Amino acid sequence: MKCDWVRQNILFYVYNELEDDARYEVEQHLARCPECALELKAARVFHATMSQASVEEPTPNLLASSRMRLQEALETASPGAWWRRLIFEPTTWLRQIRMSPALAAAIFIVGFGGGIGATYNYLANRGGGGIALVEQTPPQSPVEASAITGIRSVTQQPGSNQVSIKYDTISTQEAQGSLSDQRIQQLLLFAARNNYNSGVRMDSVDLLTQQPNDTRVREALMYALQNDTNPGVRLKALDGLSSFVRQDPQVRDAVLRTLIGDASAGVRLQALRMVEPMKVDSSVHSVLTRLAESDQNASIRSQARIMLAQTPEMD
Amino acid sequence: MPADSFAATFPVGSRSGPGRAEPETGTQNPTRGSLAAQGNRIDDTSLIRAAQQGNRAAFEVLVRHYDQSVLRLALHLTGSEADAQDIYQEAFLKAYKNLASFRFECSFYTWIYRIVTNLCLDHLRRRNVRKEDAPVATDQSGEEYSVLEQFPDARSGANPERDLMRRELGSKIGAALARLTPRERMVFELKHYHGLKLRTVGEMLQTTEETAKNTLFRATQKLRSALAEMR
Repeated sequence: MKCDWVRQNILFYVYNELEDDARYEVEQHLARCPECALELKAARVFHATMSQASVEEPTPNLLASSRMRLQEALETASPGAWWRRLIFEPTTWLRQIRMSPALAAAIFIVGFGGGIGATYNYLANRGGGGIALVEQTPPQSPVEASAITGIRSVTQQPGSNQVSIKYDTISTQEAQGSLSDQRIQQLLLFAARNNYNSGVRMDSVDLLTQQPNDTRVREALMYALQNDTNPGVRLKALDGLSSFVRQDPQVRDAVLRTLIGDASAGVRLQALRMVEPMKVDSSVHSVLTRLAESDQNASIRSQARIMLAQTPEMD
Repeated sequence: MPADSFAATFPVGSRSGPGRAEPETGTQNPTRGSLAAQGNRIDDTSLIRAAQQGNRAAFEVLVRHYDQSVLRLALHLTGSEADAQDIYQEAFLKAYKNLASFRFECSFYTWIYRIVTNLCLDHLRRRNVRKEDAPVATDQSGEEYSVLEQFPDARSGANPERDLMRRELGSKIGAALARLTPRERMVFELKHYHGLKLRTVGEMLQTTEETAKNTLFRATQKLRSALAEMR
């Protein structure tokens, strides 16, 4: 009976595909069983025979001519729908924040020039004027396929909701408009996710927090909370999400994860304050219990204990 | 394009997590665990992002990381330099056009090989249809041999008897391989001739490791009986 199992696996043994324990068993059996050992020999002969049709390296000529041909073809090929990916990588965000496909589609659509009425109207009807652009592109159109290479600065004019964002393509360009303008939103979302300058990321997240009703913004804030390397940016994101902790379970879960996993005590403390009104919630309660026992920061542990002590007994 | 725009597109602030409890998953490919491969992987990420933003030079560098092994695969599978070059061309053009849809959910290596594998499968299927009018070619000694079932031997010439034996064996092997279905042929090719793990082979053919194992088993049964018949 063992022979059957070994015979089934001799091929995979020869091809080194067996797990260590299976391989060991096969070897043990082969040492004691002459018939199976013959089978192994036959398998190895087969392997050697097939290997005679050896794999040749392509000649340098072939490789060089293939590369040249490709290069020529690339010169005339268009890269396809670069604009599809545009500036922000919505599906990467969405995968990380576990969004629904419908919303994924909606966000994708926002990036395109042609709008699907519903999503655009929601944005276009809010707030006042159009964009005053320094360069001559049609107002309210998304950024061109000439990709953005970075956001230089994000400034808000004091006392208004007009925002000025400097971003690089090949030359520095500037877009001005109100917070509700699609292009401004797009650039802010990009900055929050992609910019290498944490100061700019912070400014963007800050501005985005002024509009947290937009679900994309909420996602961007959650993303920043969970992934940004700068604790200041994460704090700002927390601030922006604070009004949603109660109503949105995803926000609540993101905040709870922050409470357990964030490296910065300051961020954890802020998150702790945010969940206090919800301490009777069972998932919040179990996180608080864990914090009270094992958080590295003494102040957090004691605050958590106090919160737990103040919670009425649950049945 | 200026060099610093390339550097600026690398999303520094976003991928490395702020000391989270769970390790980051996603781009770990166990078949390329050596340090050298890790170094290559990091370069790939920034090259891919640059290429996705339209930097053709970055795409060309990226191609160089993989093109020799792609060509080697196509050459051995098709037995023809012209066909290999066609597959190479189609594969990398397709990659260029579809780069926007690469989302780092697998390694670039797996992604490009998936494209190449599918093109090879198409080639094999077309070839199955055309078997009746098999193209022939003549070698150095004036003998005709079937292009489809032959393995070009670059080292021939020194020993005519060995060459003949090699050629006979080559055509036997070719004939045996011709009995496989395109998928069986592909699995066997990737496993036996290119040493890939069956798990990787499964990923490239967009199936499971278990299915790849079964396919390999069937393929080798067929090959062994074909070789036995020809003795």
